[in-house]
Amino acid sequence: MNRTRLIFFAVVLLALLIVGVSFLLSQISGSVPNPTAQPISVRVVSALPIEPWVQDAAQKFNAEKRTLDGRTIVVSVTPMDSVTALGKWDRGEFNPVPTAWIPDSRYLVELVNATQSEKLGRDIFLTDGEYRARPLVTSLFAWGIYKSRFDTLEKKFGQGNVNWKTVHDAAIAKGGWPELGGDPKWGYFKLIVPNPNKNAAGLLAMVSAAGEYYDKASIATEDVTNPKFQAWLKELMGAVTDFSSLSSYTVEDLALFGSSVGDGGQLLESDLLVNMSGIQTRWADPLVIVYPKYLTWFDFPFTIWMGPETSAAEKNAAIQFEKFLLSAPLQTLAAQRGFRPANAEVSIATADSLFVKWQGQGAKPKVESPARMRSPDRDTLQALRRWFDLNIKGR
Amino acid sequence: MPKNKRAPKNPALNKANGCALLAVVVVVIGIGAAMCGIAGVFMLLNNDASATPAPQTATLDLAYSPEKDALMQDLVARFNKANYKTPSGLPMKINATKLDAADIVEQARAGKFTAINPDSSLWLAQIDAGLDRPLVGEATRFAVTPVVIAMWNEVAQVLGHPQKQIGWKDLLTKARSDPNFKWSHPSTSSASGLLATLAEFYAGANKTRNLTEDDLQNRATLDYVAALEKTVRYYGEGEAATIDQVLKSGRSYLDAFIVSEQMVIYFNTKSAQKLVAIYPVEGTLWQDHPLALLEQPTLTNDQRLTYRRLRDFLLASETQKLILQAGYRPVDLNLRLDDPASPIKTANGVDPAQPQTTLQMPNPAIIEQVQAVWYLAKRPANIYLIADTSGSMGEQNKLTQAVDALNTFLDQVQGDRDRVGLVPFSNRVYNAVAPQDVSKQRAALKTQVSGLRASGQTALLDAVQYAYDDLQKRNERDRINAILVMTDGIENSSQTNLNALAQKIKRTNQTGVPVVIFCIGYGNDADWNVLNTLAETTGGFARRADPETIRKLYKILSTYF
Repeated sequence: MNRTRLIFFAVVLLALLIVGVSFLLSQISGSVPNPTAQPISVRVVSALPIEPWVQDAAQKFNAEKRTLDGRTIVVSVTPMDSVTALGKWDRGEFNPVPTAWIPDSRYLVELVNATQSEKLGRDIFLTDGEYRARPLVTSLFAWGIYKSRFDTLEKKFGQGNVNWKTVHDAAIAKGGWPELGGDPKWGYFKLIVPNPNKNAAGLLAMVSAAGEYYDKASIATEDVTNPKFQAWLKELMGAVTDFSSLSSYTVEDLALFGSSVGDGGQLLESDLLVNMSGIQTRWADPLVIVYPKYLTWFDFPFTIWMGPETSAAEKNAAIQFEKFLLSAPLQTLAAQRGFRPANAEVSIATADSLFVKWQGQGAKPKVESPARMRSPDRDTLQALRRWFDLNIKGR
Repeated sequence: MPKNKRAPKNPALNKANGCALLAVVVVVIGIGAAMCGIAGVFMLLNNDASATPAPQTATLDLAYSPEKDALMQDLVARFNKANYKTPSGLPMKINATKLDAADIVEQARAGKFTAINPDSSLWLAQIDAGLDRPLVGEATRFAVTPVVIAMWNEVAQVLGHPQKQIGWKDLLTKARSDPNFKWSHPSTSSASGLLATLAEFYAGANKTRNLTEDDLQNRATLDYVAALEKTVRYYGEGEAATIDQVLKSGRSYLDAFIVSEQMVIYFNTKSAQKLVAIYPVEGTLWQDHPLALLEQPTLTNDQRLTYRRLRDFLLASETQKLILQAGYRPVDLNLRLDDPASPIKTANGVDPAQPQTTLQMPNPAIIEQVQAVWYLAKRPANIYLIADTSGSMGEQNKLTQAVDALNTFLDQVQGDRDRVGLVPFSNRVYNAVAPQDVSKQRAALKTQVSGLRASGQTALLDAVQYAYDDLQKRNERDRINAILVMTDGIENSSQTNLNALAQKIKRTNQTGVPVVIFCIGYGNDADWNVLNTLAETTGGFARRADPETIRKLYKILSTYF
């Protein structure tokens, strides 16, 4: 055997040894990943009103064991109030970063984009293209008031006159309900408004009140910093019984605690509809739904995080889940929970619809309103929150 | 020489080649072995690194408030029995601890517990107060119950019930105008106690909402609250302790007291005497019993999954039915409160259609201030410490432990409002010290306590009688009068006997100054019949001297006075 053959033989032996040792180690430790076998994780952070539906959908989706490029897609859903999520996005506190976010409203997406644009020079949630934010369902804000209280207010202020201005007048009635023509047992007029630091609905309730105060659909910073408006709003908020309550769903409060904690408030229509039956089971007095002049909508957009933390496979898997949520069967389930479907194939005018079932209590499958409240800009919302923290939170 | 013809084999060369081959093989095997060794070391290091961080546990450490002890023990046992498992196969278990709501707040902030279930969500804000990052994470509620004024039916009728809606002001006016009217509310470490105190402040400020810090500092409001607190017969460790005492002592013990609605149901299903729940006309407060996850740094994902499993378990229809049967209002709105099988009905002294209105809940800062002011406004106390120094106390370090407990107690007595005296005894009472402001004689008392020595017999009843008679002689009705007994033995040297003393105390407590007796028993020989009789006759308690009781002795006792 010459030297060349010897060297050749030695190299082959060495190569075989390396391969063999590697194989042996991989068998022992099992640590060598096989990328194609790993499932694709889609982490969804969902706003609270819609979370039960999204959670239910995720279970159905996961049960079907859907795949993308041969990899199973696994969806997990974390419930989180949109105001809390907004803070986490701003401070970069999500770990791991969610693949998708379903906030209450598109305006919250714009607020995150505004912050991220300053850092990255671009939007982090897209408004066009394949990965754009798409509304999953919609719901609007309507007055939910106990009928005995509603009748008393109409008698006092005139038919069709239950609005933020008359509610304010009821709130400041020094003699409480007796002064308004109601039963002394009812005590003072009690308004339900969610804590704006815990629930986006609380912030939008204040925006809605500002809209009726100024009788316009667009509110700016100078409107909410106007001392006269602030004094009026403070009187209104003085009628709220409890801002420390655990519940982010204030209709649940109305159902559980009855009129003892709130005579009514401007609340999410879907929550009102799903709790109507429970309120009648527990309390003798039913709830009445009244639509305001200026409508504020939540559109629950499905938004995909476009940062480097999200891989292409995760984005595409998230799209699959989004399509699943928009499919007719899932949209039908959403309608059963009181939401207005984004998929036009699904009707809410059917006999079994909650919108039809509760028409006698004021629910409307189709709302004809002349005005839609526009989403305020970030500065306006921050001014409102600051005012709340300084004047109401510490009362 | 023809081309390509092989050269003849040279044995020397062949031998050299063989050696070279052997050398190469040896080198290759050596390199391979070295690589195996290096890889192995890396593997070990990697394994170590991955094994170190998160402990693999799915057990949730849950603290719950004591008024729902029976319910939570039942539900936690059912949950643990169900043998739920995480996807990784770890058992989902709940390790539950009963604790006052105020203690839950304190210990949660100190890093203890991964989940909590206090009586009200108002405590959640106190947990997060001042923290950069909120500790309270996901939360839900599974049962609610309103706070009510529990009264005997005939007492309520005197106040105008049911024709007239009774409120806080009626109760407070009665308490101030009738010296024989006995009422109580728990300390402010429970939601019902806090609400009662809050209602006093609202009444003092003549408001039902928008209570401000100025209101709390207003002299007229403070005087009103202080005058009312002087009419409180007894505070107690909480709702459960009060109900147990009323069950034992019956109608003569209290005329009215503040508890949550389900306690009235509990009492009425256990007793022939009936209570009625008054839902105050000015408004009340709801206990909403939040179940909250605590985002402690040690929280594992598996514990989070256990929390969610527990949440789903508590919200499940079958569990919700159990919750209703326990007298709570379940959050499942499909369950009717007016169902014939529901315990929330007039026959049990409660009304499912009530309450009609609530008081406004102030912000956490004002609530804290209400708690602080309550400690100052409530009645000061005369406390006699009775120390057994009989010979048996010298065994097993019992006297040393009692001396430590007494010194701890003396250290914890706050301010200069409470007066403390000392009655050491063996064959007889000796070197007794009359109650004086503790700030004036704390050091002297501690010196005397530290010098106690064990010898002689046990004249326990004579010592109790000595302290009791002195408190009656003092006749200080604007103070709460209490006796704390620390003993290990069997009564064997007194002039008086248990029956005579108990009868005397029972009689005199009705006509003279009410005195409450608390007993701490050391060792296994303590005469629990004597200690229990003394405690139960006066509305106090008798307990073993376990470290937790000793550590919190003053705090526990201060909830009674």
